[in-house]
Amino acid sequence: MLRRRFRAMGTEMQLLLDARPDGRATRALAAAEAELRRLERLLSRFDAASELSRLNRRGAMRVGPDLLAVVELALAAREQTGGRFDPTVHDALVAAGYDRSFEELPAELPGRASAAVACGGGVRVERSASRIVLDPGVRLDLGGIAKGYAADRVAAILAEVGHCLVDAGGDIAVHGGPWPIGVETAEGSLTLELAGGAIATSGRDRRRWTRGGVEQHHLVEPSTGRPADGDLLRVTVVAGSAAEAEVLAKALFLAGADAAVREADDRGIPAVLVTREGRTLLAGGLE
Amino acid sequence: MTSAASHDVPPAPPNGARRRTSHVARLYAATGSLTAFFLVWAGIAAHPWAKPPRDARLAALAQREQRLQRDARLVRQVVDRRWAAYRAALARRRAAAAAAPPAAPSVRVVTLPPLATTRSS
Repeated sequence: MLRRRFRAMGTEMQLLLDARPDGRATRALAAAEAELRRLERLLSRFDAASELSRLNRRGAMRVGPDLLAVVELALAAREQTGGRFDPTVHDALVAAGYDRSFEELPAELPGRASAAVACGGGVRVERSASRIVLDPGVRLDLGGIAKGYAADRVAAILAEVGHCLVDAGGDIAVHGGPWPIGVETAEGSLTLELAGGAIATSGRDRRRWTRGGVEQHHLVEPSTGRPADGDLLRVTVVAGSAAEAEVLAKALFLAGADAAVREADDRGIPAVLVTREGRTLLAGGLE
Repeated sequence: MTSAASHDVPPAPPNGARRRTSHVARLYAATGSLTAFFLVWAGIAAHPWAKPPRDARLAALAQREQRLQRDARLVRQVVDRRWAAYRAALARRRAAAAAAPPAAPSVRVVTLPPLATTRSS
């Protein structure tokens, strides 16, 4: 088993490749790392030179295939989740204080708690012209879904050499397997054996800080424009791709425990939900 | 003057010498003819127009080569046909896979130690 660890996209990355340690495997691992770094340079809102930052500044521009693909994924997710997943939460995150990479964010920010910021603005993708147009005042944050997209892309690269696992800071995509993957529960942890697909977790237990004495976190409820304040601590979801798992995890998190369990059961989405009261709920066929 | 001119004319050869010269010429001519005759005879006897007798092994090899070339052409035609059929089937399968919703990944709870842990990202 070959393993490579490094930091990218503001988090720890881990690549596991089940292959002989020859030149082909080494080249694949190097290509995978290079791909992650390339996508970070394109899709990070914290890098002023990234393609996403330029789009947010200009409001409309021709973009490359990756940004186009991720924005299309995000808009499709907004449609499918009825707006619970929304890429236009950029300004709400900034208002909550998340205006720099999380490593640079102090645990306690001065000033008052964030005010509500409107989300859900218009975004138009002109695929034939490779152009994205944002409504005035709309800016995009692709953090979670971009990480999922990157994990999927990198897993596809490594899959040409052997069975692989790509852990992009908790968004995990696998090819082949099965792979035992740990999930934090209220009581400790459990292990899910995953053969293909991906797993992702959204929660308010990490990437949190306080502002004006009020706890803030990175999961903004688009309907209120503020960090969500539901009864769930975190949600883990298994799906066909890391981007999809990321979207579903966030959508279930924002739905609240009861609605999330119902939705996961109805749609057959394997999910592990941990409530703020300290209960662990399995749904979507997990037992 | 007359006596001087008569001195310039070489004296006529005697009859015996003239007869001997003619004899030598005839001998040369006969020898040449005989040589030419033998050369022609040798050339005709060699049957240059006739095909050289073929080695049976070479003939068999040539026959085998032709048979192999014919077989190779047939094999190539069969392979081309099958390759085209495979490409068409592959394109159909890919189109069907792209149109179908992604299969739900297989997942179950186990009691193994994890290789990686998912967490809030």
